[in-house]
Amino acid sequence: MSLIQLQGISRVYGSGKTAVHALRSADLRIEKGTFVAIYGASGSGKSTMLNMLGLLDEPTAGSYWLEGRNVANLSDKERSYIRCRKVGIIFQSFNLFPHFSILENVCMPMRFAGLERKEMLARAAELLDRLGLGSRLKHSPSQLSGGQCQRVAIARALANNPAVILGDEPTGNLDEKTGDEMIGIFHELVAEGRTVVMVTHNAEYEKEVQRVIELHDGTVVRQ
Amino acid sequence: MSLMYNLESTWLSLKHHAFRSLLAMLGVVLGVAAVVGMLAVSEGAKRESINRIQQQGVDNIILHSEKPRINESGGEAIFFYGISKNDIAHFNSVFENVKTVVPIVEIRHKSIYVNGRPSDVILAGTTPEFLTVSRSQNADPRGRWLVDTDCILSEMVCSVGVDAARQLFGLEDPLGKTVSVGGTTFKVVGLLKNPLRSKLAGKNDINNMVFVDYETLLSIFNRDFMAVEANYVYVQVENLDYLKNTAGRIRTYLSEVHELPDYTISVPYELLLAEQATQRVFTIVMGSIAAISLLVGGIGIMNIMLANIYERTKEIGTLRALGAPKQTILVQFLFEAVTLTALGGLIGVGIGFLIAVLIKHAAAMPTIVTPGSVIVALTVSILTGIIFGTHPAWKAASLSPIEALRR
Ligand SMILES: Nc1ncnc2c1ncn2[C@@H]1O[C@H](COP(=O)(O)OP(=O)(O)OP(=O)(O)O)[C@@H](O)[C@H]1O
Ligand SMILES: [Mg+2]
Repeated sequence: MSLIQLQGISRVYGSGKTAVHALRSADLRIEKGTFVAIYGASGSGKSTMLNMLGLLDEPTAGSYWLEGRNVANLSDKERSYIRCRKVGIIFQSFNLFPHFSILENVCMPMRFAGLERKEMLARAAELLDRLGLGSRLKHSPSQLSGGQCQRVAIARALANNPAVILGDEPTGNLDEKTGDEMIGIFHELVAEGRTVVMVTHNAEYEKEVQRVIELHDGTVVRQ
Repeated sequence: MSLMYNLESTWLSLKHHAFRSLLAMLGVVLGVAAVVGMLAVSEGAKRESINRIQQQGVDNIILHSEKPRINESGGEAIFFYGISKNDIAHFNSVFENVKTVVPIVEIRHKSIYVNGRPSDVILAGTTPEFLTVSRSQNADPRGRWLVDTDCILSEMVCSVGVDAARQLFGLEDPLGKTVSVGGTTFKVVGLLKNPLRSKLAGKNDINNMVFVDYETLLSIFNRDFMAVEANYVYVQVENLDYLKNTAGRIRTYLSEVHELPDYTISVPYELLLAEQATQRVFTIVMGSIAAISLLVGGIGIMNIMLANIYERTKEIGTLRALGAPKQTILVQFLFEAVTLTALGGLIGVGIGFLIAVLIKHAAAMPTIVTPGSVIVALTVSILTGIIFGTHPAWKAASLSPIEALRR
C-alpha cells in the first residue's frame, strides 16, 4: 500500500465558459520515505496539486487515499484533524506569526493537537535546537534571516511528527546556498522515513530528488 | 481550544492595535458610562424622594385644613373651616382600619417669647400619639413627652424641638425654663427630636417647633383667635393593604359632611406608588438610550473586527494549514470581540462611577451606583460583543484555507 494515492483527481475553478481546469484527472502514487519534486511551468497546477495533498483544497472529482483511507470530501473537522497530525506544510514566504517568538511559532500546531504546554515547549525547543536555532528561542521572526526563518518553518512543520512534509517552493525566497541547505535538511527528513514533496521551479534540484513529477496544463506528464 | 490560546492571541491583537482597539471600544465605553452615571443620578433622586415620602410615614393619611376662597363660599365671609373635632371623633369611632388619629393645631399669628425676646418658632398643640406617628423621640432622658394627664389636668407644659431649643435658649439648658405666647406661659418639660428631620405635613420642621397639649391649647386660644380646630390630622392605619380603601372612605365621608372644599388629603403611600411608576418610565427611557448607544458601540466593534480579519487573512490561512479547524478560528475572533466589549464595559463602569462622584460633589445631588446597574451594564456589554462579533468571526472561520493563504 502506498502512503499517498491519487485516483482521477481533478480540480476545476469556476464553471461554464470561464472554468479553469487546474488539475485534469491526475493519477499518482507516492511511497513512504521518498523525496519528490513537483516540476512544471507557471500555471501548470503545481500549487493546486500540493494543496490537494495537504488537504487544504478539495478535489472536484476523484479520490485521495492517505495511509489507506480516502480523505477526499471529509468534513472540515476531520480534514483539519488529519492536516494537523499527518501533514507538515512549508511556504515560500515562511508564513511565520510575526508577534510570536519562534518557540511559540513552533508550538502552534501542537496547540491544535491538544498537547500539554510543558510537553509542547520541550518538543519545540528540541526541534529548534536540532535545526541550529537552540540559542534563539525567544527571538521573533523579524530578528532572523530568511534561511533561519525557513528553518523555523520546517521545525513548525515537524512539530506533530507528520509522515508527509509539503513545501510550495520552499527555496523560492532564498539564495542558492541557503536553498541547498534546505535541500540538505529535507534529505535528513527523508532518511528518517518521512516523505517530502516539494514544488520547485529550479531544474537543478532534479538530480537531488528521488522522483520528479512533472505537470503540464493540469496533466501529469512525467512521474 | 484552550483558554490560554485565546487569551494570548487576543492580548497580542489588542497590544498590536492598542489605539485602534481603544477607538473601537469608545462607543461601548461611552454608552456604558452614560447609563451607569445616569442610573446613579436617578437612583439617588429616587432614594431621596422616597425618603421624603417615608418621613411623612407610609402608613399615614394626612388631612390638611384649607381656607376656601371667597368665591367658593358664595361671597360669605368664612370664620371657621377645616377638619373639625367631630370629624376626628368619627374617624376614631367608625372606621375599622384606623390605629390612631392625631390632630395638630398651630398658633400662626402669635410669636413665642423667651425672656421678652420674640422668635419665629411655631407653637402647636397635639396629642401624645404624635410622638410615634411622626417617628420622633424624647431627646433628653431627664425630660418627658406630653402625656394624657397633661390634657386632663390642663397642664401648662411644653416639649421643645431640638432646633427650636437652640434658637430659643442658645446654650442654656431648656428644661424647667418657660416660653410665653400671647400672655400665656408654658414650662418646658421635655426635648423632642425627629431623627428623619421630617417636616410636619411636608411644611414645618418638627425639630423647630414647640408642642403643647392639644385640648389645652384649644381651650386657651380657640374662642378668640382660632379659625380651625386642627391644621393637620394624621390618620395612622393598622394595615397597609387596606390603606387605599380607608383613604377612599375618608374622602367619601369628608365630601358628604363638608359643604365647601376646606380640606385636602395627601396619602404618602400613594405618592410612593406614583413615584415608583415614574421611575419605571425613566428606566424604560434609560434602557432605550442604552440600547441605542450600545448598538452604535456594537457597530464600532464589528467594524474593527472586520478590519482585523481582513488584515490577518493570511495568518488565518496559515493557522488553518497548521491544523486549526473552523471552530478554533470562530472562537478566537469571537473571544477577541467579547474581550473588546467587556473591557469597554469595564472602563465605562469606571467612568460612570467617576461621573456619579463628580455630580455628587459638583452639583450636590445624591448619586448611588447600585451593584445591579453595574452587573446589567457588564452583561449587556458582553452580549453586545457576542451579537456584533459573531458575523466577523463567522466570516473569518468560513474563509477557505487556500483563498486565505493566497493573500
Ligand atoms: N482561485 C482560483 N480561481 C481561478 N483560477 C485559479 C485559482 N487558483 C488557481 N487558478 C488557476 O489554476 C491554474 C493552476 O494554478 P496553480 O496555482 O496551481 O499554478 P502553479 O503551477 O502553482 O503556478 P506558479 O508556478 O505560478 O505558482 C492556473 O491557471 C491558475 O490561474
Ligand atoms: Mg504555485
